[in-house]
Amino acid sequence: MRHFTKWSLAAVATAAMMGTSSLAYAACEDLTLGSAISFTGKYSTNGIHAKNGYDLAAKKINEMGGVKVGDKCYNFKIKYYDDESTPARTAQLLERLIKQDGVKYFLGPYSSATTKAAAPIMEKYKIPMVEAEGASRSLFNKGYKYLFAVLSTSEQYLASSVALAAEIAKKNGKKPGDVKVAMAFENDPFSLDVRAGVLDDIKKHGLKVVIDDKLPRDLSDMSATLTKVKALKPDLLLISGHSKGAATAGRQIKELKIDTPMIALTHCEAAKVTVKYGDSANGLLCPTQWAETLSYKGAAFGSAADYDKLFKASFDGYKNVPYQSAQASAAVLVWADAIKRAQSLDTEKIRDALSKTDLKTFYGSIKFSKAGNNIAKPMVLRQIQGGKYNVVAPSEWASHKIDFPRKAQ
Amino acid sequence: MTSVADERGKQVEPAARRMITPHDLIMFGAIVLFGILGPLLFPNYTFQIAVLWLMVLFAQTWDVMGGQMGYNSLGNIFFFGAGMYICAVTQIGLFTDVGAFTSSTDQGTFNFTPDQYYIGVAAGLVFAAFGSSLLAVALGWIVFGLRGPYFAIGTLGIALGAGELVGAWEWVGGGGGIPIPVYPGSGDGKSFFYYCLCFGAAMATFIFLKWLYSTRFGLAINAIRDDEEKAEAMGVHTMRHKTVAWAISAFFLGISGGLFGNMTGFIEPLEVAFPAPTFGIFMVAMALLGGKGTIWGPVIGAILFHIVKEATWTYFLGWQWVALGVIIIVNIVFFQQGIVGWLQEKYPSWFGIEVEERSSSAKEAAE
Repeated sequence: MRHFTKWSLAAVATAAMMGTSSLAYAACEDLTLGSAISFTGKYSTNGIHAKNGYDLAAKKINEMGGVKVGDKCYNFKIKYYDDESTPARTAQLLERLIKQDGVKYFLGPYSSATTKAAAPIMEKYKIPMVEAEGASRSLFNKGYKYLFAVLSTSEQYLASSVALAAEIAKKNGKKPGDVKVAMAFENDPFSLDVRAGVLDDIKKHGLKVVIDDKLPRDLSDMSATLTKVKALKPDLLLISGHSKGAATAGRQIKELKIDTPMIALTHCEAAKVTVKYGDSANGLLCPTQWAETLSYKGAAFGSAADYDKLFKASFDGYKNVPYQSAQASAAVLVWADAIKRAQSLDTEKIRDALSKTDLKTFYGSIKFSKAGNNIAKPMVLRQIQGGKYNVVAPSEWASHKIDFPRKAQ
Repeated sequence: MTSVADERGKQVEPAARRMITPHDLIMFGAIVLFGILGPLLFPNYTFQIAVLWLMVLFAQTWDVMGGQMGYNSLGNIFFFGAGMYICAVTQIGLFTDVGAFTSSTDQGTFNFTPDQYYIGVAAGLVFAAFGSSLLAVALGWIVFGLRGPYFAIGTLGIALGAGELVGAWEWVGGGGGIPIPVYPGSGDGKSFFYYCLCFGAAMATFIFLKWLYSTRFGLAINAIRDDEEKAEAMGVHTMRHKTVAWAISAFFLGISGGLFGNMTGFIEPLEVAFPAPTFGIFMVAMALLGGKGTIWGPVIGAILFHIVKEATWTYFLGWQWVALGVIIIVNIVFFQQGIVGWLQEKYPSWFGIEVEERSSSAKEAAE
């Protein structure tokens, strides 16, 4: 009798499971995507934002019936390793994913440094990687054929704020040569590349650099630079240093009462500056790869606003969805789209399909140049106004006017 | 090294414990067998086993100073990074402008032909080895005035300072790092190529050190460890011995740095080249785990450490550092002499130590 109940229970359970799975997942096979990403170390905040983005998109694709190839269908499963925020681990972990776990489809790590270590491995094994978090331009001048990036490259991050400063100066009857710029950049591959882009733009517009500081990694104090800023009174202050840098800058700008009329810094949303520093964060300019207010739309998640809503409902503790998560989700969508078009699991065929990607998503349009970077999506510049992020540049996407000078509190 | 022996005009008979015992031969045979069969039986683990040999090399070179000479250096990782940068700069600089290649604004690409690649790697490794040795001689001149904890902190300062200095040096890419030229062959070909080099480097280090410890030079650095003033009073030129010992460490570490840079494919100063908090500490931990001041200790310590590390990194993600910390604490608190040190105490005959003979030979040495 006992046996009977046990067996019948098991049978019912199995039937139930099969029933639900045939409804939701139609008995799809698993298809493993691999990623070595930062769960510990200085990139862990953003590494986890990116992981959440990957997971949400994989779940969404699976809920929509997986990826269909011929009469089979595949569910995305993602295998992660922790790279501890150091490129020294990246190569070892990717080798392990490729050789020992047999993974043939890759999502990128977080940060330009680790992506720089990942790209040669992908090239070496001729395995494609769609990355969403490595923005350095130098990734796209090495002739890599298996690296695809959904995001805009790093020289665009702060360039629009330089153009904006020049524009405002002209409007106020000042010469661009009188506009003093202070720059503080973390000494790492990403920020140095942002700096290179900024220097190009400063030259183009003819502004004057008064401070050009390189800051240490894992930035927890930049008061020396800010003291100089107080003394030299620049018109524009540019800061880049990942989330930790943005958090430090936000804190010390408040503590030292920096009243520079225009301050632009990267990674505001990821560092949650509005949550941490409240009103004192008002007026900061933050470049972003993506904003929930933009009018982008795609098949999987609907509009940018829909994604924003779904993301906040899926993960706790987000007042703003960081663009790092959005672009990570977009990378998974690119994979699904390319496999569907390739109608094959062959990495070469998928690579060719990836290179022909022309996709509209909630994250914006995605189309790769020959070098592998996305050329169909602009960076936008947002300003924190009354605790909210409002798009102020470039003008075709702007929903609000810029507050100038910044109202320091 | 040999000159030390010649200088005195007579060769000192190696002590019994310095001879090659049957256990040595069995162990060495097993390791060579694994080194050759490993990548053939487990081709998918080639890269990890290659890193294992580098770890073995790290622990052995640290032990030259920390174990045999009693100078606990926390900055040996400096030579690893120096070798990595010297190798990379040579590989690139032989064929194109380094400043342009590493610049973050330059949009040009430069492709290395296979010949250029192999010549670059060969020359790079040679320069890395000798360059690192020269740096050791120069730095030794400065830091060998320090003893004990002051020496440890001084050398740590060198490693940390070097990371920051290279990070500010734009010609070598600064904090942006250098992408290493891409291997011209297939993926598996590259893994195997560097595997052979790593294994060769680790074995060369082992054989060289085994020989070195059997010479008068080995005895001299042991004398420095046991009592530096007395050694000096006995006529050992301590400064020269210390400098040569460090240069030897640096020679092999420089090679390992050049290899690791090429295997990683992208180098930058703080995390890849001069990672004092990870590799810099690992090399000490591995030597202590195995037993410092023994020939096998660092080898066994490194192998165990690497296996535990890779296993925890795979199966206890999030707890890997805790596991590592526990191992180090248990090791420091309960097994200060390390695995081989403990075995040596328990089974001295395995190590060619006959208790009576050792005491008599020790008496001879003292006289």
